[in-house]
Amino acid sequence: MNKRMLSAVAAASLGLSGCTGGGVGGFGLYSLVRPGRTVKVGNGAMTVVAPREWNRTTRNGFTDVRYVEDWTLNGPYLDGISFVSALPDNHRIIRQEYKADRQVPKFRSVMTPPEIAALVESLYRIEGGASDWRTLNLAPRAFLGTGGFQLDYEHLDGDELWRKGRAVGAVIDGRLYMMIFDAARSHYYDSALPDFEAMAASAQLRR
Amino acid sequence: MTDAVTRRALLAGGGAAAALLATGAAGARILPSSLQPLIGPGYRPTDRDELGMWQQMQRVEEEIAGSNLLIKDAGVNRYLQALIGKVGGPAAQDMRIYLARIPEFNAVMFPTGFAVVFSGLLLRMRDEAQLAGVIAHESSHFLLKHQIRQWRDMKRRTDVLSFASMLGGMAGGAAGIYTGDLAQLAQLGTILTLLRYNRQLEAEADALGIKLIAGNGYDPRSMSETWEQLIGEVELSARVRRKRPDRGYSIFSTHPAPRERMIDLRQSAAELTVPGRAYDRGRERYLQGIGSIRPTLFDDQVKLNDAGATRYIVETLAKDGWNGQLRFYEGESLRLQNADAIQDRAALSYAAAIAYPDAPADAWRWHGIYLMKAGRRDEGRAALQRYLAMAPSAPDAPFVRQMLVS
Repeated sequence: MNKRMLSAVAAASLGLSGCTGGGVGGFGLYSLVRPGRTVKVGNGAMTVVAPREWNRTTRNGFTDVRYVEDWTLNGPYLDGISFVSALPDNHRIIRQEYKADRQVPKFRSVMTPPEIAALVESLYRIEGGASDWRTLNLAPRAFLGTGGFQLDYEHLDGDELWRKGRAVGAVIDGRLYMMIFDAARSHYYDSALPDFEAMAASAQLRR
Repeated sequence: MTDAVTRRALLAGGGAAAALLATGAAGARILPSSLQPLIGPGYRPTDRDELGMWQQMQRVEEEIAGSNLLIKDAGVNRYLQALIGKVGGPAAQDMRIYLARIPEFNAVMFPTGFAVVFSGLLLRMRDEAQLAGVIAHESSHFLLKHQIRQWRDMKRRTDVLSFASMLGGMAGGAAGIYTGDLAQLAQLGTILTLLRYNRQLEAEADALGIKLIAGNGYDPRSMSETWEQLIGEVELSARVRRKRPDRGYSIFSTHPAPRERMIDLRQSAAELTVPGRAYDRGRERYLQGIGSIRPTLFDDQVKLNDAGATRYIVETLAKDGWNGQLRFYEGESLRLQNADAIQDRAALSYAAAIAYPDAPADAWRWHGIYLMKAGRRDEGRAALQRYLAMAPSAPDAPFVRQMLVS
């Protein structure tokens, strides 16, 4: 997970967002994802096929986790997909200050889906500034050819906008593979959900 | 806090230092008996600068009143309104109170007599006497006209700051109180800076506040307890992360010198306590007043995974007796810390929680999951079945049902 995605709300309120030339906060750049091609995401351990053009953020080794990559369609304020590929045991999903008061739990190989769901919730509460969080559904779902889970949720953020999200994931050989789709609840979620579902169906392990 | 630090802090707040030197009693406690409210019921400003401030503040209040970050629970809001109506002094009936869903310990009084209480404050109070103390303190800022006095003092000292532009920032900030990483919202910072009173004004609000609650029959010792709890929480939070206590946007930034104030409040409480008189703590009333939102308040705090702070809060509330809810949230906090050494303790907390009749359904779920992970599958299944029986339409019920058959 990329801090720029989660803090898009805060950036916008400070007037930094102005997505001129594809930059967010003045330092992130996007590159185009072409539809219909197999694309490696995260650290390259997973591939997906996008049904239409998406924008992937260029990652920064100092601020980002190399197992995680973010895409957006209309800008991080409105929608985004985060790919988590082969996150190992005892690793973080987002980079945080070592001594931060509030810390997103580390991923552990022994985690059950309810624990991974709690991890996602803490991520949005701590780094995304969500003040209200509702778990809508947690159910079994096949992902990457194995038994995984699907988490549906919605959250109210500091900019008073409701956002809605879906996470699909599985733990394979002790590593976490997950796709998180998060978008403004009105219009943008429904509009990009078919893309997300197509990508989740296309996802493959790359060994 | 050392003497040197305190003195430097006083000098930094030039206005405070000057005021104290003028009275020739730097650091002396203000006697509750020496203060009277400066305004009565139905107060309206007449001076031009104050009139302008009120006009701007009405806009701020409209923004806040319409925010969807407010907790709308009618019962809780009635309870808070009744409490400020009781301990708010002569202008009590004019005051308004808004409850914002922000998991921090803070409360802010605006210059026109409306207060914003952060939900994190309600989680941390042990009883009505403690909450009444905070509300009476904030009300006293209004009763003593601190905002306009502070502003006039500031204007004397500098022309660089334009009050109008600061108010503009406040209106904007109030429109979008950012609740996560508060440091990110410069505009809320502006509000808090403007409403940061110097040591002298805080001491006055403490002195009048404690007089107001004692006069209403509340135990006056509750105010120093609140500070003790706050200091203890921040210290334990920092100790768990192995660092020095520093919380930029917490109540410490708007309410300086907590330790000195705690000591002064203890003395004032002893002075105000009438021997033989029975003082009220109002714990039952408090639990009844806010009970409906307490699980939400706990969730908002615990899921931030600030382990030391949560532990301190749970243990402080448990001084009035452990129950299923407290043991459950103790387990939640341990679980989120996610260290192998602590997982066993999380399991023990859940196991302890379900022994109480008030254990929430979620305690049964986690108890069951931990049993399953420990290889005690039959017991785990039984606990998960109990969870499903208590919460058949829980959002994660489909997943838990699968756990039962796998």
